[in-house]
Amino acid sequence: MHSSLSNIRISCLAVSTGSVVRDFRADGLAAGIDPAQLERVAKAIGLRERRVAAPGVTTLDLCEDAARRLLEEMAVDPTSIDALIFVTQTPDYLQPNNSSLLQARLGLCKSVAAFDITQGCSGWIYGLHQAALLCSHGAARVLVCAGDTLSHQTDPKDTATHPIFGDAGSATLVEKTGSESAMHFIFGTDGSGAPAIMVPTGGARQPVAAGAPGAYLKMDGAEVFNFALREVPPAVAGVLKLAGWTPATADRLVLHQANRFVVSAVARKCGFPDAKCPMDLVEQFGNQSSASIPAALVHACGSTLQEQPLKIAACGYGVGLSWGAAAFTIGPVVVPPMLPFPRR
Amino acid sequence: MPRDDAKNLAALCADVDALAGANLETVLATLPNWDSLAVLLTISHFEHTHAVGITATQLRSCRTVRDLLAHLPR
Repeated sequence: MHSSLSNIRISCLAVSTGSVVRDFRADGLAAGIDPAQLERVAKAIGLRERRVAAPGVTTLDLCEDAARRLLEEMAVDPTSIDALIFVTQTPDYLQPNNSSLLQARLGLCKSVAAFDITQGCSGWIYGLHQAALLCSHGAARVLVCAGDTLSHQTDPKDTATHPIFGDAGSATLVEKTGSESAMHFIFGTDGSGAPAIMVPTGGARQPVAAGAPGAYLKMDGAEVFNFALREVPPAVAGVLKLAGWTPATADRLVLHQANRFVVSAVARKCGFPDAKCPMDLVEQFGNQSSASIPAALVHACGSTLQEQPLKIAACGYGVGLSWGAAAFTIGPVVVPPMLPFPRR
Repeated sequence: MPRDDAKNLAALCADVDALAGANLETVLATLPNWDSLAVLLTISHFEHTHAVGITATQLRSCRTVRDLLAHLPR
């Protein structure tokens, strides 16, 4: 699906991360993995550290912290928010949804429209698109919260998947405006690849208690890499074409931060040099799933975005299998620093 | 060994550390570092050096290095 929407802007981005620092090499050594093998993987994939949520801290908590900081920085009255969209695959409960819980925590109006989107690494693009649609049809101000705590959903014994994920929650304020340029979107889905990223049990098909065998996230990294190389470049080329940009005229390509190896390989196939494609975040914070694109914007472009506009192409890709690409101009905007939660 | 095979083998071995010192008849499963990382590196090599998309399923069905190179166009 292609979509172009105008007179909408992103006016603030805030990201809160997990507070516990995990070191890839130290954790690997403690798990009995051969030091040479650890070094080989760390160097090739770009794994160094990640920030995970402390026990008991959920995606809802991380997104609430990011949203509160956003509202404070922007001096926005919470009752002026028309809609709240919560993007996550790690909600507090099967029912009710996180958006309803966050509406109460933030003190938003009862008249607010609040709903969740069950998407992972493509989810921030989905949330941004839904917010832009709402702003095109009556809403003045929409809050998009996107985050995940996948470190709590991976098997500590799964040495291929467990060391990858960090935890984070983001908040993005989308507003209707009379003067900004358009946002362009392309979405795609290939459910035939769904088994490549899956938590097999715990849903209605195979209900089991959380933490039981099979309730962990399973990921086939090679299949996901194939998928990313196949689907992301045409989606990025598509939104660049919709925006009238090229890799030379766009300022940044912000990809979902799977890991440095994947981001670099996909950026190369998209025709972007590494210098235009942020990829340092993931070595420090881990794969933050649906929060990784806003986190990369804050981490790599935050200081620039506070001063000047940037032409951004972005693409999220992952569980589903699902992908979403966007092209938009953002800035100058308020970008509070990325902070851990809870803060010490 | 045909010149193309020698050239392709050398390029593959340069990019995929697990294949260092391998020849066409090397059985992949006997290589100590033939693991999920080696699979990723091989997919990346095919993509960026030859513009050939090899799927994880195709790659996992290869027994020898020769089977890998058979996925390159002649």
